[in-house]
Amino acid sequence: MKIVKKAQAGTMQSSDLMVFLEPAETLNVTIESTVLKQFGALIRAKVDEMLQKHGIDAGEVRITDRGALDYAIEARLETAIMRGTEG
Amino acid sequence: MVTSLLSTDDLTQARALLEATGLQFETPYDDLVGIFAAGRLVAVGARQGRTLKMLAVAPSHQGGTLLDEVVTELVGRGYQEGVDSFFIFTSPALAPNFETLNFNLLAASGKTALLEYGDGLKRYLTRYTRLIRPGNNGAIVANCNPFTLGHRHLVEQAAAAVDQLFLFVVREERSLFPFVARMRMAQDGTADLPNVTVIDTSWYAVSSITFPTYFLKDGDPGGAIQMELDLLLFAQRIAPHFHVKSRFVGSEPLCGTTAAYNEAMHRILPPLGIEVRETERKNADQQPISASRIRDMLLRGELEGIAELVPVSTLDFLLSSEGIKIWDKGGAK
Repeated sequence: MKIVKKAQAGTMQSSDLMVFLEPAETLNVTIESTVLKQFGALIRAKVDEMLQKHGIDAGEVRITDRGALDYAIEARLETAIMRGTEG
Repeated sequence: MVTSLLSTDDLTQARALLEATGLQFETPYDDLVGIFAAGRLVAVGARQGRTLKMLAVAPSHQGGTLLDEVVTELVGRGYQEGVDSFFIFTSPALAPNFETLNFNLLAASGKTALLEYGDGLKRYLTRYTRLIRPGNNGAIVANCNPFTLGHRHLVEQAAAAVDQLFLFVVREERSLFPFVARMRMAQDGTADLPNVTVIDTSWYAVSSITFPTYFLKDGDPGGAIQMELDLLLFAQRIAPHFHVKSRFVGSEPLCGTTAAYNEAMHRILPPLGIEVRETERKNADQQPISASRIRDMLLRGELEGIAELVPVSTLDFLLSSEGIKIWDKGGAK
């Protein structure tokens, strides 16, 4: 599935994340986080898992995180994906 | 909850809150939002294009999440409007408050710090990585509005003095000629010089973010600080990526703002390891060639003299149907 339009979900508050999605030819994920050093790899794994679950294979995915827990990452990504893929 | 501030009472409260925290109410803006507690405005923030400003939280409500909520709302709305990178000017002491919101510090001088939300600068630099050949490289930043024999002269001199020369064309759409046209004139006008690479400045050099007064007329005192930020950003973040060790600039006898910018270059860049080489302007008919002179001639319809001031490639463009559409607005006068 492709990202067909710009979409955004989440907030900039502590323990949350902002997700930005844009249409693109290839899949490109960038993650910024205040805890990137400690948890960057885990955040990346969770993001990849969610993209795979929804079958997203093309789009620009930008995430700015402030220490969100797994379920917050799941919820925000799912919301953004639904907004960015629906007709 | 964050709401738009629209009514006269909203605006009066916003002005009072800003002034109480030492800021000013500055129009224009695209979005103005705030948070109320018990009917009283306790947090405010605005967005003008890519810049977030007028961000303030009442002292009684600081230390919570109000700033986060305001910035979230402004960024979310801005993103829907098509803005994909956001900038904040603040004092260096307050910069860490924004760094915890994932803003990145781009440059800081005495009283002002410039921060960017997201990794736009890194993405901009990475986009050009494959064009860079390490060596003793040089840079020119120019608007090329349009590309003249003066530009050509400066480019030739600079290219002969370095391994690779980057000609940064100002990205901002605030000029008579649109960016795409300026970029093409610069490319066509330097195509025969193998060590010249033409690229764009994005928002990171001579833009409405880093140097807004470039696009205004002379005499704005606030411009001095932003010139400094523009040059610090260039010296500390952009030049090292492109292996740029010298910046070339034409002497500026005509325009006050550009002359002040040149002077700031001589003051700021050398201590940061960038040599500034100022070249005498090329003259035609005892007058320096300048793009503004050519624009004046075009707008007055004096086409005869222009061929002596621009390269053939630029002349071809100016006289093409696409070029004529740009400068001959509403038929010849």
